Amino acid sequence: MIGNVANLTRWEWFKLRRRWMLWILLVFAILFAQLAVWGQFFSYQNLQTTGGELTVPASLQQQQGRAPRTVACNDLLSGNPARQPADLDAQVVAGLAAQCRQQAATLPARLARAYQGFSLPGSISTALGIVQTLALILIAILTASAIGIDYGAGTLRSALTQGIGRWPYLTAKLITLAVIAFLGLVVALATVAIASVVATSIAGAAPSGAATATWSDAGLALWKAWTSVLPYLALTTFVTVVARSSAAGMAIGLGYYFAEQLIIALFSNLFSWFQNIADFLLVRNISAWTGGSGGFGAAATLPDQTHSIAVLAVYTLVLAGVAFWLFERRDVQGATGGG
Amino acid sequence: MSSQNGHVIETTDLTKRYGDVVAVNNLTLRVPRGGVFGFLGPNGSGKTTTMGMLLGLVHPTSGEARIFGDPARHPATLRRVGAMVETPTFYPYLSGRGNLRYFQGIGRRGAPADVDRLLELVDLGKRADSKYSTYSLGMKQRLGIACALLGDPELVFLDEPTNGLDPAGVVEVRELIRDLGKGGRTVVLSSHLLAETELVCDNVAVLSRGRLIAQGSIKELLRQHDGLRLRTTDDTKAQAILSGIRWVEHVERHDGGLLVTGSQARAWELSRDLAVQQVYVNELVPVHRSLEEFFMEITGTDPTTGKERS
Repeated sequence: MIGNVANLTRWEWFKLRRRWMLWILLVFAILFAQLAVWGQFFSYQNLQTTGGELTVPASLQQQQGRAPRTVACNDLLSGNPARQPADLDAQVVAGLAAQCRQQAATLPARLARAYQGFSLPGSISTALGIVQTLALILIAILTASAIGIDYGAGTLRSALTQGIGRWPYLTAKLITLAVIAFLGLVVALATVAIASVVATSIAGAAPSGAATATWSDAGLALWKAWTSVLPYLALTTFVTVVARSSAAGMAIGLGYYFAEQLIIALFSNLFSWFQNIADFLLVRNISAWTGGSGGFGAAATLPDQTHSIAVLAVYTLVLAGVAFWLFERRDVQGATGGG
Repeated sequence: MSSQNGHVIETTDLTKRYGDVVAVNNLTLRVPRGGVFGFLGPNGSGKTTTMGMLLGLVHPTSGEARIFGDPARHPATLRRVGAMVETPTFYPYLSGRGNLRYFQGIGRRGAPADVDRLLELVDLGKRADSKYSTYSLGMKQRLGIACALLGDPELVFLDEPTNGLDPAGVVEVRELIRDLGKGGRTVVLSSHLLAETELVCDNVAVLSRGRLIAQGSIKELLRQHDGLRLRTTDDTKAQAILSGIRWVEHVERHDGGLLVTGSQARAWELSRDLAVQQVYVNELVPVHRSLEEFFMEITGTDPTTGKERS
């Protein structure tokens, strides 16, 4: 049986790797990961060049009606009249300089934090903060497509008449998708590692106190990002199998992510008891498990990690279990493999 | 290995209901080993549902289906079976070769070289690397046949295999099916092209409204429904006389004369019995029914349209 599932997994990969969609989704994951690294890099460069920036509201500007503008603390604190903003009142400049002097105390820590964000191994966690949210959306698209095509093209009939068994077939699909999700994260993070090496070489020497992130933190973040994808994979599988449609799988898979957070935001304000229900919802627990990212919720109000991993495990088992049960017992008939 | 009595397919009281609709009703069918077996019936008669139950795609409501003596839906049993049921279905983004490699791979059916051999067999060698989505209906049909033959199965189900083929293709596929039925392999052929079926099948089963209404060798079934066309001096009186003869199955007015269903070997008795009652035969011609005529007679429907005869 294990041999059968392994063989089916191999051939599922044969099929999936020939789809453009897989590679396009991977490119998206890589682009977002790169965005995270280079965003931190340019933020660091800016902080280093400017010493921090302050926003000057339009009301404090001499020429009324202008948009808010920023001034660099390094200019304000340089003592060089040529670098002072000429269009601002002297009192305003003095006030801004005072703020800059206050901020200067925290500048080394801010620089260290920004540097850590784009240098290894801290850049892994930085990138995962963005990529794991995107991974949920991408895995919903890929899962709905990989399972739904058998209904859409009617290939489920051709596959099942090969004597492969129903549950091994669905198991192989889910294993392939889970492995692809993991490999996709690894590939995206590998490009992050390369970008980090390039970025740190451009940035030069690390600021003092920069190396607080560890490789074990990065590994844990990767583990959490991957495991957080699994309940979402189960959700999309469940919807696609129930509806026998990739479109439904994609629509619910994508829509649920946003819908849940909107519902929590709306109902939590209206009913205090709704917070108890919210603590058992899928995306909220994914956010909790991954440490606050992957959702709109603030980390402080999220359930604890033990609670969240237990809830996510139940979601995964129940949704996948029902999907398997339906897949096993339903008739496969008609052009799309429907009943 | 087939079951002990030499039948590759055996169903006993096989029934499938969809709510109040009975798609297959207590079907007890025996398909002998070897040769081409025609599985006939008008649209909606339950042919595809029966095939689905035999292939493990459809769960029977009750009854039993066995292939090679083993439960039909068992994966090990299905690995010895090839099938093209309803329309051929493949992945549109894969090539013809890619699709065959995939289905060969998941079912572990034969060696990779078989894919090229089968593509040549169904005349798709030159388009093997084109995407399936670019195939014509006839090419899709050919690929479906090739897929059904992966792993050299002992039993092959072909549902309307000549759909979309040009006349030359129909002849090629007919020859292919005839060849497939040789050497111990069994081909179950479902088709509404009864002239084609008659040319390639050894045995047939006819379904109507989910029930088996005839089964046996084509020769035997048609012989039983052979008849005589006759013209007499008084057809009205002759019809009344012939209807009273026990071995005459049916008498009807046909083309300005009478059509009698019954044994041609007893034609002389008709002539004698009519003469005794002063009705004389002007013309007496043996009539051989085609499978199509036989089908229309026992199902009351047109095999192509599935509509009831007026």
